[in-house]
Amino acid sequence: MSEHAANVVVSQLAHRADVETRLIDVAALPIRTDDAGESAKDPEFAETMNRADALVLVAPEYNRGYPGLLKHVLDTNLHEYIHKAVGVVGVSSGIFGGARVIENLLPVLRELGFVTIFWDVNFNNVRTRFDAEGALVDDSFLSVDKFLDELIWMAQTLRYGRENVVVGGTP
Amino acid sequence: MTETMRCPRCGAEMNHQANKLVEPVTREEAEARGTLGGILLAVFACPHCGYVASRRDEHHDT
Repeated sequence: MSEHAANVVVSQLAHRADVETRLIDVAALPIRTDDAGESAKDPEFAETMNRADALVLVAPEYNRGYPGLLKHVLDTNLHEYIHKAVGVVGVSSGIFGGARVIENLLPVLRELGFVTIFWDVNFNNVRTRFDAEGALVDDSFLSVDKFLDELIWMAQTLRYGRENVVVGGTP
Repeated sequence: MTETMRCPRCGAEMNHQANKLVEPVTREEAEARGTLGGILLAVFACPHCGYVASRRDEHHDT
């Protein structure tokens, strides 16, 4: 179901000018699980994160938390994320739409150096939002446009800042 | 204190955009960590190609 939600976000991003999007399935990344942190870094994933100006995390909520694999993958990089925009899309079969997975991810994302935006997308009641082929049949209470407006603004602003504003004042 | 770094990809001078406190990963870093309780990671971005790089800062008390 999270893949269907991710496809909705990707399809909306396709309509945005000057935005290149890459969908990454963390389960398909060749990241070792017998180590953690930057020791387990995958060069291709790290390069993708280095190039990215923003990240959208589509995260299912299980027992009020985020998937361990998502945290494991995020932990493999650090400087690649710093001063980059991130937004979170929560997915759940209940009525809260992953609100708790989003809240639990925020301190992790802050520590990784991301700048979180104040819009979320909540795919609640996800079992009835998509048809058998994964097409969205119920778009009620989804705010993907507003979420992407804010994410892209933040991504553009932070890119300017990373490249032009010196920490601690003038060089 | 700002530092400088050349972009390892295109050679342009990078912008020192962040200092991030991180945990030590070696015994030497653990012994060297100062009053901030960790090591500073100096993070740079290239204004020419956008590449991001970092250097673990010896000036951990600054």
